[in-house]
Amino acid sequence: MVKKAQMQIQQMSFMLIAVFIFFALVGMFFLRVQVGGIKGSAAQLQKEQAISSLQVIADMPELNFDCKESMTLDKDKLLIMSGDFGQDYDLFWPVASVEVFKAYPAFDSQIECPAPNCNYYNVYNNSQLNSKKFATFVSICSKERESGSVYTRCNIGKLVVGIINNE
Amino acid sequence: MTMRKIVKKGQFNFAWLFAILAGAAILFLAIFGAMKTGDTARFQTDTQVAKQISILTDPLQAGFSEGSFGSISFKKETRVNNICFSDEFGKNDISVSTKSEVGEEWNLPGATISIHNKYIFSKERSSGLDYYVLSKPFNLPYKVADLIFMISENYCFTGAPEEIETEILGLGIPNIEINNCTVSDSIKVCFSSTSNCDIVVSGSCYTNCDSLYDKGTVIKKDSNEDVNFVGNLMYAAIFSDKRNYDCNVKRLLYRTKKIARELSEKTAIMSTRGCTSSLNSDLVIWESMLNSTTPDTIDNLLGDLEELENKNYREQCNLW
Repeated sequence: MVKKAQMQIQQMSFMLIAVFIFFALVGMFFLRVQVGGIKGSAAQLQKEQAISSLQVIADMPELNFDCKESMTLDKDKLLIMSGDFGQDYDLFWPVASVEVFKAYPAFDSQIECPAPNCNYYNVYNNSQLNSKKFATFVSICSKERESGSVYTRCNIGKLVVGIINNE
Repeated sequence: MTMRKIVKKGQFNFAWLFAILAGAAILFLAIFGAMKTGDTARFQTDTQVAKQISILTDPLQAGFSEGSFGSISFKKETRVNNICFSDEFGKNDISVSTKSEVGEEWNLPGATISIHNKYIFSKERSSGLDYYVLSKPFNLPYKVADLIFMISENYCFTGAPEEIETEILGLGIPNIEINNCTVSDSIKVCFSSTSNCDIVVSGSCYTNCDSLYDKGTVIKKDSNEDVNFVGNLMYAAIFSDKRNYDCNVKRLLYRTKKIARELSEKTAIMSTRGCTSSLNSDLVIWESMLNSTTPDTIDNLLGDLEELENKNYREQCNLW
């Protein structure tokens, strides 16, 4: 009689352990799926943020030419912002990196400004590795004086921003 | 039936006791797990909503227009917490919580999303199903930023000057009524009279102004607070509470100083191309004036900023 009862208790405890492990595994699987979903939506939101930031960054008074026209960058301000002055803005950017390239004339090697015949401005970089990037075409303009008259000179450029990687 | 058999029937079988205890424990764990999962899902959704507010306000910014307007609607009554920090560029910390069906009225808010590059003026804690986002540019005298006003309450503007009336009507903001107001619980904003008003806007620009309301004071009767404004900050003073207003204005003043320094450096670069500007010294003075300006004294800047604006306009190589 005692032996039969002991057997039943053993059966019951094995069953309970099995049920517990089963639920734990189901829970872990569910958590894994949920965490994957959170990571996916966080990445999607950062992507949306980067895309919507393209115009916001191009229209920022710190970069915009004359503060009058959208998607038009000021060559002089780019030079200032890619120097020491821009370091104060580190926390300000909603993206991982802000770079500007001169799109025309086409170039073989990237020469960072300030330098003669430069074609690349590194405005901000949070040193993040493997950042997915989005770009838009912009005008890069400056005021010039020639033969006593002032005119605006513009080139085609490309504004590139990197997505903040949460991992 | 013998006595021994009755005792045995009355005894609780160990297997039953064990099964009940284990079953109860499993049931408790399952309910606890389901509740925790629900909380986590809600936390995730609230955090996503806070981030989406940051993203959705991007295209709603005024940019180079006189103003812009849009709305954000929620399926469930939602509370938006907007806590401002004013150190250097500062930030708006946005968190969102939804209305709870059980226990406390509001669930705990989701994770806080910090927005460094926007100036969101609102009450520190506001709730509603629909939020209206109005944006106006802020120039001091050059463009500094776009002001974003996030409102969920209804407003009634009475005695507003024509330019403000035209602007509000032109943007088609559904929760701001002009003069003959129909919504009974709306916040009454008066421009000319002071009786039966929740907020009184008093303009004080009498010379060299486009409008009497280019500068002035907003008086809030419930909190007895006076807020000084210049330009489009009038809307900020109306729609936000003093703490949020002062904090965001401090952030704006810091950014205005930074842009003044940048423009000052720009004059040096431009002069190498023969495009000289005499504004460098004015910008240095302007920067020092901004250093001593507080949200309470911001209206005193109006005269000097117009002088700076005119000087820039007269330059052949203007800076902005």
